Amino acid sequence: MTKLSRTYPFSPRSHRICVTSDTSELKKIRDFIERTALQLGFAEQATYNIALAVDEACANIIRHSYKHDTTREFCLEIFVEQSCLTINIIDNGATFDPLSLAPPNMKEYFSKFMKGGLGIPIIRKFIDEIRYQSADSDHPYNVLTLVKRLS
Amino acid sequence: MSTFSVKHTTQQHVDVLSVTGFLDAHTAPQLEQEIQKYSDVPTPKIVVDFKELDYISSAGMGVFMMFIEDIRSKSGDIKLARMQPKVYSVFDLLGFPMLFDIVDSIDDAVVKFGTSNE
Repeated sequence: MTKLSRTYPFSPRSHRICVTSDTSELKKIRDFIERTALQLGFAEQATYNIALAVDEACANIIRHSYKHDTTREFCLEIFVEQSCLTINIIDNGATFDPLSLAPPNMKEYFSKFMKGGLGIPIIRKFIDEIRYQSADSDHPYNVLTLVKRLS
Repeated sequence: MSTFSVKHTTQQHVDVLSVTGFLDAHTAPQLEQEIQKYSDVPTPKIVVDFKELDYISSAGMGVFMMFIEDIRSKSGDIKLARMQPKVYSVFDLLGFPMLFDIVDSIDDAVVKFGTSNE
């Protein structure tokens, strides 16, 4: 399989990182996001929250898009545009659109001792705008875009 | 390189699990194994000490949801103590205080178990 890192048309203005589809890489991804967001002027708490949202999104790709196949790879690119921090998370695995899942009712969640499904509410809480583009023949990459406004 | 560890102690018949580092989808299975060990008793009484925990994601929080129903059905509990504000904010955001006792000290948690006997 062609490496994403060699084929994806990254923005020339972006900071980027490519990792194998393995949960052991999550710490490296958070460090990358934190370092970049701090450098771009985000406060410490906001930076922590952005890194958490990105961690949740990447954990979903590892689990749902690549089904823990550690031979696969995904990439992140991050840039500031119009006072917004934009993070693209790019994979070429199975389509997994986090926006297709309805947020859980938390009262019901706890009263019924439900499990899983907490990552997407975290992403929705900490990220201002979420977009998902699934792969097609013209653009063979799934791209989850997370936008956080500099405030 | 380990980014997460769990240390076990006991205090007045309560199992205290002190977690250190980063709790995410990679390290959550370690916590799951530890809680499993101490939940396999007639009435599990577990306190998780978060003082040295710098980070938690939903995978880590999910570990508590995996066990709480079974432990409560045995009249036991998992209580959560000494969270750093940035860690507490995520539990609070999702509404975990609706289901879990989250307290400021291990002593408070142990007292809440009312453990003068086994």
